[in-house]
Amino acid sequence: MTEINTSKHIAPLAVLRIAFGAIMLISTVRFILRGWIDAFYIHPKFHFTFYGFGWVKPMGATGMYALFALLITAAIFVTIGLFYRTAILIFFLCFTYVELIDKTTYLNHYYFISVMSFLMILVPANRYFSADVIRNPGIKTTRVPAWTINIFKLQLVLVYLFAGISKLNHDWLIAAMPLRIWLPANSQLPVIGGLLSKLWIAYVFSWCGAVFDLFIGFLLLNPFTRKPAYLMVIIFHLVTAALFRIGMFPYIMIFVTIIFFSEQTHLKIISLLRKILPGTAGEQETQGIPYALPVSTRNIIYAILILHFTIQALLPFRYLLYPGSLYWTEEGYRFSWRVMLMEKGGTAFFHVKDPETGRQSEIINAQYLTPFQENMMATQPDMILQYAHLLAHEYQKKGIKHPVVTAESYVTLNGSGSRLFIDSTVNLANEKETFDHKKWILPFHRK
Amino acid sequence: MRKSIYAALIAASTLLAVQSCKKSGSSSSTDNSSSFDNKGMLTNISTNIILPAYTSFQTATVNLDAAVSAFNASPDNTKLLALQAAFQATYKQWQAVSVFEFGPAETATLRVNVNTYPTSVSQISSNISSGTYDLSTFANLSAKGLPAMDYLLFGLGADNNSILLMYSSDITAANRKAYLAKLSAEIKAEAAAVLTGWSTYKATFDNSAGVATGSSTSLLINQLVYDYEILKNYEVGIPAGVQSMGTTFPTKVQAYYSKMSVQLAILHIQAIQNIYLGKSAQGDGPGLDDYLIKADAKKDGTSLNTTIQNQFAAALAKLQGLTDPLSDQIKTNPAAVTAAYTELQKLTVLLKTDMTSSLGVLITFGDNDGD
Repeated sequence: MTEINTSKHIAPLAVLRIAFGAIMLISTVRFILRGWIDAFYIHPKFHFTFYGFGWVKPMGATGMYALFALLITAAIFVTIGLFYRTAILIFFLCFTYVELIDKTTYLNHYYFISVMSFLMILVPANRYFSADVIRNPGIKTTRVPAWTINIFKLQLVLVYLFAGISKLNHDWLIAAMPLRIWLPANSQLPVIGGLLSKLWIAYVFSWCGAVFDLFIGFLLLNPFTRKPAYLMVIIFHLVTAALFRIGMFPYIMIFVTIIFFSEQTHLKIISLLRKILPGTAGEQETQGIPYALPVSTRNIIYAILILHFTIQALLPFRYLLYPGSLYWTEEGYRFSWRVMLMEKGGTAFFHVKDPETGRQSEIINAQYLTPFQENMMATQPDMILQYAHLLAHEYQKKGIKHPVVTAESYVTLNGSGSRLFIDSTVNLANEKETFDHKKWILPFHRK
Repeated sequence: MRKSIYAALIAASTLLAVQSCKKSGSSSSTDNSSSFDNKGMLTNISTNIILPAYTSFQTATVNLDAAVSAFNASPDNTKLLALQAAFQATYKQWQAVSVFEFGPAETATLRVNVNTYPTSVSQISSNISSGTYDLSTFANLSAKGLPAMDYLLFGLGADNNSILLMYSSDITAANRKAYLAKLSAEIKAEAAAVLTGWSTYKATFDNSAGVATGSSTSLLINQLVYDYEILKNYEVGIPAGVQSMGTTFPTKVQAYYSKMSVQLAILHIQAIQNIYLGKSAQGDGPGLDDYLIKADAKKDGTSLNTTIQNQFAAALAKLQGLTDPLSDQIKTNPAAVTAAYTELQKLTVLLKTDMTSSLGVLITFGDNDGD
């Protein structure tokens, strides 16, 4: 099993640690500077928690800012490799906690960061070119088993592959949706702006995007195609960064895919870093001891990895267990590397009725939700249900014993035009959140 | 491998070169390209709709302030009538500028300063009797602006004779006149500031192309939708009781005391309709309708633009079927009011969901990443 046990140089891990830590540092600082801690975690009165994670609550202003300070500290420590295992563990826990507070802000790239930082807990990325080695030269290692590097390659291949598979559908390939809506929205861009409003360009982008996602992982794995493939990674992600509002995601991918390069390339990167960072000279030029784990620990890690990758391989297919159109119901949509697939928008009107008096009220959603939450809620059935439960609870407090909560949501999907999304006669106060199909989602028919 | 990199680079640069030549070659012809002339729409809307609207509003506030001064100098029935007329003209013109809460108006927080209602009679009375107040406080938002003047000019008595007494023989008449003057002076100053602001902001507005968050089109559409919801909710829905378990609030209508709520709502929706159509005194220029046509936006197989235009017409027809005072109509014929609300609601969906989604504009009053 050469991909698991072969002794490899540790350099790729050290570079990954630095690249990931640095981009996380930038990412976190950007998040804070944009005022998102307040906008997403302090200001909202209500949070859409994930099913089974209702106990996750934000900590109030001081707590949240302290948590982000801790995230920044952890990212710095990861980058320089100081108290690495503790730092990456803290980073993983804090980051994942923040993500679990509110699914309104769910993004595949946040999920990706959680997954990457989780995997990084398992590897000795601090045993070379790190503050930990300067602090404690005894831990220095130049040789690690191949799995410590290959798990990241496998993870990235899966991400790209699933992103590619998810594009193999009618809307993306045959209708060029949603790019035929999104690309003309950029027609003000210099030089290429005029092209972007041409329909054939939407097809070119759609097909190239699908082909890129499907094959790029394998092209990066193959030493003969690696360099042009990485060039394509850079071009592809920079183009998406210029055209779409996807924040840090393109840069994160450009950084972490460096892991695919050979150990020689990574050693060159490190010697370059040594030259520009004089402080790193303290690390002794010794070979160190090969990295070896006690068999029991190693077996636990193997078990964790097998479980992890089994879940990774199966989770994106769970949508097959649900009837109806995936984009419409979004049952089994998240955690599956489905990116940029839908132009979906909606407006939801909620009504609360007192069955005893027959009187009813339309709800002003802004009283309970931020505009961002309201937007995300209007198109996602599980969030509609959560909000309906909140309303039922609020009106019970106002003295209505059995409030009837109904939702009238009009949703448009990939240019379909708005139509009724869920059965507006169903009392959502009585519906329970489960993993079962939500029968009150109306079927989607393209007219 | 090197070769393939070079090949990719050459291909990419050729593509760019071809396109840039094409672009520079065709930049003189305006409308033959397949991309929508975003700047043309913005320029039409700012030149022919926004600036004339603000200019008229500013003129109206100057006239209003002059009418207040004349009235305060010697309150009599003629001057009260003139003042009331000047006020009504200002409130009507306000309907045409309420939408544009971005740029200078956003800086001045014009909308809440000028038109927060229902006005607080108790706050106004206590300000007048104490004689000392700071109109810039949050508490005084509902004691100033056009709704406060609405009360002071129409709501102080059953008829103009009794209203006049409040400005002549009443013990707080002097304070009341001073308050009235303060209110109109503030509105006048704000209108002037926003109009001045637009003289420089116009270039920024016209040249910020695209539909990304923060672009002019995005600001315009977001505020159009937001303002439209104010019309639907505050001018009709809330007073009619649709958001309060059927309990009606007739006194919460816009312009409750001057009894021109329906008239104002009609002007308001027409103003929004004109922005949508790009229509002005200069004719029918490029507007959001043309944008939707260019994007070939559809709704249930038919043109989204047609659907939206029909729904504007349907909502407008329902509003025109109502009569002032709306506060009375809510009591006597609530079904007609809720029917108007229902038609307004349908247009909300078309503007907020269908239009924005077809153009790739995000309805978000903030900023966030997507993926």
